[in-house]
Amino acid sequence: MIKKIFQTSGNIKIYWMVLLPVFCLCLISLILLKSTSQQIEFLNSTLFKQIIWVCIGMLVIWLLQYVRIQFFYEYGYYFYAILILLLILTFFMPSVYGARRWIMAGPFSFQPSEAGKLIVIFTIAKFLSDQHNLSQILKIMGITFLLAIVPAILVFKQPDLGTAMIYVAITFPMLYWVGFRPFYLFVIAAPVVSILAASSLIIFYIWIIIMLGVLFFSRPKLWQGVMVFVLNISFGTLTSFIWNHLYEHQKERVLTFLDPMRDPMGTGYQILQSITAVGSGGLTGKGWGHGTQTHLRFLPVRDTDFILSVAGEEFGFVGIIVILILFSTLCYWMITYAQKITNKFASLSIVGFTALLFVHIFINMAMTIGIFPVTGLPAPFISYGGTFLLTCMVLIGLTNNILNQNI
Amino acid sequence: MRSYQLIPTKRKTTLIYVFLVLIILLSFRYVDLQILNFGKYQDRANANSIRQIILNAPRGIIFDRKGIPLVENRPTYDLMLIPVDVTDHFDYDLLSKKTDIPPAELQRVVDEGKRSINRFRPKLIKRHINFEVMSNLEEHKLSLPGIIFTENPARTYVSDCNLSHTLGYLRIVSENVLRQAPLNLNYTLDDVYGAAGMEKTYEPLLRGNNGLEYHRVDIYSRDHGVVRDEDRYPPISGQSLQITIDSKLQAYVESRISGHRGAVIVMDPTTGEILVFTSSPDYSLNTFVGPIPSELWNSLNKSPDRPLVNRGSNGLYPPGSTFKLIAASLIMESDLINPYYNVQCNGSYTLGDRVFRCWNTAGHGQVNLKTAIKYSCNIYFYRAIQGLIFSEWSDMASRYGFGKKTGIDLPYEAEGIIPTEAYLNEKYTRRGWSIGNLLSFVIGQGDVLATPLQVIQMVNLISTNGHTYQPHLNIFAEKVPLNLQLKLKTWTFLQDAMFDVVNAPDGTGKNAKIQTNGTVRGKTGTSQNPHGDPHSSFLGYLTTSEGDTFTLYVLIENGGKGSGIAASIAKDIFTYLDATHTTIAVND
Repeated sequence: MIKKIFQTSGNIKIYWMVLLPVFCLCLISLILLKSTSQQIEFLNSTLFKQIIWVCIGMLVIWLLQYVRIQFFYEYGYYFYAILILLLILTFFMPSVYGARRWIMAGPFSFQPSEAGKLIVIFTIAKFLSDQHNLSQILKIMGITFLLAIVPAILVFKQPDLGTAMIYVAITFPMLYWVGFRPFYLFVIAAPVVSILAASSLIIFYIWIIIMLGVLFFSRPKLWQGVMVFVLNISFGTLTSFIWNHLYEHQKERVLTFLDPMRDPMGTGYQILQSITAVGSGGLTGKGWGHGTQTHLRFLPVRDTDFILSVAGEEFGFVGIIVILILFSTLCYWMITYAQKITNKFASLSIVGFTALLFVHIFINMAMTIGIFPVTGLPAPFISYGGTFLLTCMVLIGLTNNILNQNI
Repeated sequence: MRSYQLIPTKRKTTLIYVFLVLIILLSFRYVDLQILNFGKYQDRANANSIRQIILNAPRGIIFDRKGIPLVENRPTYDLMLIPVDVTDHFDYDLLSKKTDIPPAELQRVVDEGKRSINRFRPKLIKRHINFEVMSNLEEHKLSLPGIIFTENPARTYVSDCNLSHTLGYLRIVSENVLRQAPLNLNYTLDDVYGAAGMEKTYEPLLRGNNGLEYHRVDIYSRDHGVVRDEDRYPPISGQSLQITIDSKLQAYVESRISGHRGAVIVMDPTTGEILVFTSSPDYSLNTFVGPIPSELWNSLNKSPDRPLVNRGSNGLYPPGSTFKLIAASLIMESDLINPYYNVQCNGSYTLGDRVFRCWNTAGHGQVNLKTAIKYSCNIYFYRAIQGLIFSEWSDMASRYGFGKKTGIDLPYEAEGIIPTEAYLNEKYTRRGWSIGNLLSFVIGQGDVLATPLQVIQMVNLISTNGHTYQPHLNIFAEKVPLNLQLKLKTWTFLQDAMFDVVNAPDGTGKNAKIQTNGTVRGKTGTSQNPHGDPHSSFLGYLTTSEGDTFTLYVLIENGGKGSGIAASIAKDIFTYLDATHTTIAVND
């Protein structure tokens, strides 16, 4: 068994194009937490805790170089089964802040949905890499979505809307990666986006333009294209029509169904303060430690969900662009390396990892600037919090490992 | 199963483009927020976190003529609680003891506050606690987590005397006040302003200029100190004011007339300085600290004794017999009547079908001008006015300062009325009045109305041979001369007549005669009025053995005859003055 899990690795190469952006982002995280931890005793501060977590993360990245990746391929479905069991087990655990996400055993607590992000990626990667006959479109796509949706529903019930969305979202790039036509994926994803985009007219217009672009490039049959376009437009308009004709309490019920954790009074206020923080940062920001929104506590959960608003306020547009460039570099190189890998499972895993990171950073940013509802998804490497940072570090460690073995 | 087959480059490119498009979408939003709408959000962030703090300028202190402070500043404090900061260690019993609010009530307020949306905002517990209680609570702050104080500017009245009407009170600037306030005083809502008395007259001097600084506050309104980059305007204290009042003498007079309704004024006629200015009943200015409770205001406002009126300068009364001195002056000045010519007084006088009576219904017998003043004989003056020219009489009254404001530095001074032919024609039509009206005017009745201040101004002129100054309270005010050019023999005659009133054994003012070295001269007054017993008044002046002169007017509403209560109050005040006058520092 030990031999299946571990390997002796001769010469470990570090892929700096992947690891350097990660280290930079961790550094930015510490810089931002240093600012938010002002007036707090160092040993109690989130800064100190995050430093510990980053160190642990580094150690984990190093240790992971001795893990045999193929192990995850071979035992992928076992992991998946254990994940489903653990997710079911969470429903029997006491609720923390109104959610049952943790499995608690004495002083230890464990959040299966977090590890689930990796397990779902490995499972789907294994399943897709096993398929040789891609002509069975419906069957393969159906099973892939099923693999994602079952844990997603369990997580959604915890409730944790954000993580559930992640599970589903990462399947799309992976399906595309094995060769499914983007048009099919688009047809599946488009209605959801249409409904979401209907919340704002400007976003809906942008969505229509993107839709036209995608349809143009994916070159479907004419009647298919027209049908998808018309259906989506009607979806969007119908949604906003129905939404506007709902009573307030009905709207509230729908929103509460989608996200039971939402605080109807709080989130609007939080987003407003976050937008104010970001907007008042301007081009170059108010300076490190000088964000008034941040330090006078107008900005909510500034260490975790809204840490990018701190960045926007104190370092301005320039700071945000730096962060975006770092993430873009990371994603660019991960995809680029993934393409060079002949091992399909490994390649798909990296695409899944990239999608996971990208969806997190996109949704978190979109949330802090008010173009996406507050879902509680943290920003990878930057937000304070040990569990998610470790997930991201594991993912980077595995990527480096895969690249070492496959390139 | 492994498959060894490269993924087509096109997929890599497409995926990277998709990511790139989404990232560019995000950047657009950042450009929109941070560059295009930067100003808007900067304003919003500043409005969030920067608060203007008004630095109250200390109001000028008011001193009496000897430099004894009458009014000082002592802020009061409002006690507030931030419900969310109140812990289980909160000592309800201690707070209850200091504020006289039952612990259960405090507990209820806190519990309610903790459940409310405003649990971060300070909740008012008690208004206007004083400095001692505030500092005591501040010492125990550890057992009272969550308490905070806000400071209100307020006055405290430190001297022995009340001097309520003269000093006046402060009120809170309301929207209404703000709308009418002069711009140069820079009022803001919830400021205090002088609403009556000296506080009102000298508002621009006393007020000073409030300062301003900008503080950062957090979401709970907690103060994080001054914002360095913003301008700070330090407060400029108001200037102090020294007034002519002698607080010891004032206190004595107040105690002497308490229980009566009326006014007493003491002046130095050689300077126009007012030493005592009393209106009774008065009220305690200390109850006016901060906003006046509406019940108190209503009870003061509706009281039949009208305690809010400053009778000395704003009260109008028929001056009564003291006003005979006007006719006497005119007789001495004109050659129409020989002052030594005798008139027979039988106690009544018939004009046409009307009978006019002397106060002494038995009659005074043969009286000339001097004895008529001594006895305050009405009949003499009924006869005399018919021998004089009415317009000259009105003119003489006007030259003495009646019928117009004296110019005292107090608000809302009344003018009074001196009837002239034009006035009577206007009021009663040309045929509606007759000689009969003049008979009451000459004895200070009928349409004649004057403020006590105007009456004392008359004796200021008499005691200085016509060379006095306008009455004033600000000791450093420029003295405005008030001159009345009459013949010296007129002054001497009036002074002698007034000497007899007090010092002759049969003078009406004999009750005002003092036993010490000084000499009192005076004239009594008994004013008939529709509100019951006549008002009792005494007008006079004291010449001390050192040659200092003090004038006095006592008016007691419904006090009966002037020879009674007013004269005896005057005697006490003169006695006190004669004993202590050397301590009344004469300025410069």
